[in-house]
Amino acid sequence: MSRPLLEVDHLVMNYTTEKGDVSAIQDVSFTLNEGESLGLVGESGCGKTSIAMSLLRLVAENARFDSGEIRLDGTDLLSLTDEEMRQRRWNDISMVFQGAMNAWNPVYKVGDQIREAMDLHFHPRLSNAEVEARISKLFELVGLNPAMMNRYPHEFSGGMRQRAIIAMALSCDPKIIIADEPTTALDVIVQDQILQELKKIQADLGMSIIYISHDIAVIAEVTDKIGVMYAGKLVELGSTREVFARPRHPYAFLLLSSTPSVTGPRRKLAPLEGEPPDLLNPPTGCRFHPRCPYATDQCATDEPPMEDAGDGHQVACWNWKEVPELGGLTK
Amino acid sequence: MSQPLLKVENLTKLFPVSKGFLRTPTDFIHAVDGINFEIQPGESLGLVGESGCGKSTTGRMLVKLMEASSGHVLMSDKTHTDDLIDIANIPNDQMKRFRRRVQMIFQDPYESMNPRRTVFETVSEPLTVQNIGSLKEREERVSEMLRLVGLAPPDAFLFRYPHELSGGQRQRVAIARALVLDPSFVVADEPTSMLDVSIRISIMDLMLKLADEFDVSYLYITHDLAVARYMCDRIAVMYLGKIVEIGDTEEILGNPQHPYTKALLSAVPVPDPSFKREEVEILGGITKAINPPSECRFIERCPWAKDVCRTSDHPPLEDKGDGHYVACHLVESALTSA
Repeated sequence: MSRPLLEVDHLVMNYTTEKGDVSAIQDVSFTLNEGESLGLVGESGCGKTSIAMSLLRLVAENARFDSGEIRLDGTDLLSLTDEEMRQRRWNDISMVFQGAMNAWNPVYKVGDQIREAMDLHFHPRLSNAEVEARISKLFELVGLNPAMMNRYPHEFSGGMRQRAIIAMALSCDPKIIIADEPTTALDVIVQDQILQELKKIQADLGMSIIYISHDIAVIAEVTDKIGVMYAGKLVELGSTREVFARPRHPYAFLLLSSTPSVTGPRRKLAPLEGEPPDLLNPPTGCRFHPRCPYATDQCATDEPPMEDAGDGHQVACWNWKEVPELGGLTK
Repeated sequence: MSQPLLKVENLTKLFPVSKGFLRTPTDFIHAVDGINFEIQPGESLGLVGESGCGKSTTGRMLVKLMEASSGHVLMSDKTHTDDLIDIANIPNDQMKRFRRRVQMIFQDPYESMNPRRTVFETVSEPLTVQNIGSLKEREERVSEMLRLVGLAPPDAFLFRYPHELSGGQRQRVAIARALVLDPSFVVADEPTSMLDVSIRISIMDLMLKLADEFDVSYLYITHDLAVARYMCDRIAVMYLGKIVEIGDTEEILGNPQHPYTKALLSAVPVPDPSFKREEVEILGGITKAINPPSECRFIERCPWAKDVCRTSDHPPLEDKGDGHYVACHLVESALTSA
């Protein structure tokens, strides 16, 4: 196995607010290898976007890294100066932000906006003609007509704008792309086209991608590895195939059981009772215990560590052995 | 066949596109273009399709939030069970009575509620408008509704404002408001698409349970086929203002016939990494139906289009057996199971 490209090591991040600290990322560890795709899933407010922003160190002003490291090729990103970090963004890690397709500046041509990103970040200094050639190559890669680079954003459809955003994210040849809800506002056919495109680009360029989504069906389509997050904690981590076939954490189990599908037998879905906790005052012990049907007394007091459930499939639960097999979802 | 609750005939909505100095409408967007369907009492019909296909416009016309350009929406009248009445002909002084029977649940629970009204005011408003009961009786009715939608104990919620509720709780209030008059038909426009997965199922289950208890039919508008499968007895697939396929849910999903339905279905991500989907490639992207030509609406994107599609008008919905209707020249009658 190759050395991990990215290692997130016991990361803890809090947001300081007037009411107290919001525990957004609590002791999260994972690794990403070269050419691998990792999906982070969870509901609103579970910390998935906070992790994405932390990897780029684009966190809000009130965010505070209390411990842990984010190592890219062995260098801790949290120890870099602001300027050193700026040099790394786009070149090493770039990002497709949530809703970015609506963030194009309407008065500049799309090609010029990509050129600006390259002027600011790309290390090999290119001549104008070289930049143009590169942008048209990127447009072809994401399935856009290169002539479109001289058009304005309003001349693009939603799907085309998102493709152009992906071209921009690729413009500086990054090692890792973070795609935060890359297809959430798109219709299902366009979503499928873009996901397939991303998969192809990833394979062709040997890139690593971190997908962030609330939609586990999307994650199932495109990732090798999946991390399930709940209330700022990573509760399960394993190969996508493994986790979907045999979720070990009760939350992952219930999340999968409550996802409707167009395939497989039509079945009653199991609702997840209650609501996610307030991270100003996260529950003691396991953060999922107030909603967990498998909770015992220990869960309310002791925080479960990540444990190996076999084959590198990790789970943070005291009672993961009690979680039944998923019925009817896998074929 | 029993009397349908609702019958839609050639329902059409055109939106004018104004251009030029005088803003005279020169073109028309055919948002909904001559659609036909029926809903039986107690049955739920799912209306699926991509953004801009006309599904919300259809829903709004059914509850008369929008006037149709042409065509009819016929509803059974509870008092004269044999007749279907055209909702366009209901005189103004009888509209109140119509509204008792037809309600709507909107997509965004953050926007569909007055932020300055308490839960009690929101849910009791329809009763007040309809002049039903004394204040005391209304209070009891609202409490009962809140309990039914899972906001218990009601006293804890009656005097809260929308900002004090979570998204799921707000949608529960919206459901209570829609059902407080005991309607027979509810249009639900993407009621769960703004909610998180874990909350989505409990709201869907609640709507199914209440459909049973209140004997209400839904027109369930959604872009999500998996959600439609969970909620609906039948599904209608819309494309650019036309219904291209309609039939029983499992039949449509298991044996889709129209090229668009096939493409749509093949694009739905499946929460199972070992599942291999059939690839159906369609051409181009969705457009707007501005003064559309008369031939099949899907022709530009259809990879199987033949001469007959180019020379004939948009195909009508035809029964291909067992109430499975498809609007495509290329689908043989007498369906063979795929």
